[in-house]
Amino acid sequence: MENMVHLKDIVPAATNTVNTQFIVLEKGSITQDGKEMTCLALVADETASVHFQMWGSECEAFEPGDILRLSNGIFSFHKNSLVLRAGKKGNAEKVGEFTMLFVETPNMSEIRWARDPRNPKKFVQEAVLSPHSRIFAPSQ
Amino acid sequence: MNSGKLLRIAAHEANNSTEASLGEAFLLIQNQLKPPFPLTIPSPSEYSQLNRAIAFGVLTEPHLTKTHLTHLHAIVVDGYELFTSILVKLCNESFPKLLDSPKSQLLHVCSALVNVSALKIESLLISLLRQINGGDFTESNLWLSSELLKMLSDNWNWLLEESLVLTSALFVYLRLLSDHYRLAGSVKLEELKRMEIDFCVKVLRQCFHLCLQIGRDLVRLLQDLVYISEFKDLWKDLLSDPKKLGVAEFSDLSDIYRIRTPTHYFLLRIPPEMESQLRFLLTYVRWGNQRRYQAWFAKKHLCWPGSETVISDIVRFICCAHHPSNEIIQSNVISRWAVIGWLLKCCRRNHFEANVKLALFYDWLFFDDRVDSIMNIEPAMLLMVNSVPKYVDIAHMLLEFLFLLVDNYDVDRRVLLARGVTASCRLLLRKGVVHSMEPLTSCDLLSPLLREKLRSFLPGSELSDKNKIQEGEVSVASEGKRLVQC
Repeated sequence: MENMVHLKDIVPAATNTVNTQFIVLEKGSITQDGKEMTCLALVADETASVHFQMWGSECEAFEPGDILRLSNGIFSFHKNSLVLRAGKKGNAEKVGEFTMLFVETPNMSEIRWARDPRNPKKFVQEAVLSPHSRIFAPSQ
Repeated sequence: MNSGKLLRIAAHEANNSTEASLGEAFLLIQNQLKPPFPLTIPSPSEYSQLNRAIAFGVLTEPHLTKTHLTHLHAIVVDGYELFTSILVKLCNESFPKLLDSPKSQLLHVCSALVNVSALKIESLLISLLRQINGGDFTESNLWLSSELLKMLSDNWNWLLEESLVLTSALFVYLRLLSDHYRLAGSVKLEELKRMEIDFCVKVLRQCFHLCLQIGRDLVRLLQDLVYISEFKDLWKDLLSDPKKLGVAEFSDLSDIYRIRTPTHYFLLRIPPEMESQLRFLLTYVRWGNQRRYQAWFAKKHLCWPGSETVISDIVRFICCAHHPSNEIIQSNVISRWAVIGWLLKCCRRNHFEANVKLALFYDWLFFDDRVDSIMNIEPAMLLMVNSVPKYVDIAHMLLEFLFLLVDNYDVDRRVLLARGVTASCRLLLRKGVVHSMEPLTSCDLLSPLLREKLRSFLPGSELSDKNKIQEGEVSVASEGKRLVQC
């Protein structure tokens, strides 16, 4: 896949441009959001973790330990929380299980982002709100 | 009508590249796969494409099996090596995902390849034997056990020429039988048990000279079957009339004890996916990071009823078939002893726990540094030493079990077993795997009786002799550097 990025390099944006691969560490409970089911998950690669929002049938297809490939995903605010998701234009697929390393810190969803003063269309890291997910407790 | 599918691909799951490559070849030359077959000689790339296309065709079109096999026999110029390799790859990578019909076709084709003595056919059979899950009593798993056993029994004369397949099948079915025998079940299961007993006894009685290749783990497996009458008789001969087995070099059970079991056999009870997960855990995952991996492993491989039995197979695999390099031993990657400590804690029933402890100590009992590897005995020692003081109950349980084994595993050969344990301790100390046994012998939390007994196995002069560690041997020692973090 073209332009694969590590999770530590993702930046909030309004467009579907994130191509990446990660392992699912934990799933929250499935909830109903309007007509569709949603489920928040903690996912990670060798460089960072992030909250991943699963949607519809994804909620039941993906389990902890699954390695997913996300193409044309989006990292943006969804109902006030910063999450990575496939969105309408993107796609997440299971490509394997278990055999991937990960770190839980930093968590890209636990960073406060501010507009870049030099380029207001872009976001830059402003502060670390928490070194790890405040929704999913770290495993160690 | 070709369903065009080999594998069960779930929603949101990526396509499988092997399936895609076979399917593409099939679609491209579909019209050449029916008679009259072209008489032109294919180029190497066309030959490869033809093999892939026929493989896909024969696996997905059961009604055209005969046509595809005739075609294969007509074009083959490499002793079926490429064709068999395609099937081995598919089997190793994706057998659990194969749909029922392709699965059944795969066995059918395998049987046809046995008939023509295809090159690499032994790899295909061994790969299939590895796909039978231990302790799994589902219909599809029992079906596979039974179909493979029928194929092997039907090709007895061929099997006699393929000693690795023969002894591998014996190893697998002896191991399966100990689980199957414990279970009273359906007519099908009863039939399977009968076939397994007949096959194993026939191999042992008629080809004992070949069975010796398995080495000492053969005795470990046979011990679990002693209550089956056919095996009771065999045991009688093994112990009191060994000549009856008709092998000149076998005159006493100790002759088998002395043969170290080759690595190949331990892989037979570990399906490929489980193997890759265990190797990943023990090669890349660092201390402190193992918890999630262990939970995923347990959820996938140890959670269904009956699965507990495979823990002893996993421990044998880790001790005897996964030997990390010095580089990994010196790194921050989780150690074998810690993973074994976790596996021990996964055992819920005494019977299985005893088998796991036996698996862990088995090579200690017969250890001879001329034939044995220190890596096989190292995890047990490090687990004991690193368990004190925080997890002293583990050290206690293991020492108690070790002494019980020496005294009771084979009463007539107690001296040999005691010598094995002494030899193990001596080498582990001499090579610096542990610098001394002090953590155990002077641990007040262990009963004085156990500590006294342990001292009796230690060569006095080497109790705390650290000077004997030679250069280059230090690396083995460092796996013991981290105390109880598991």
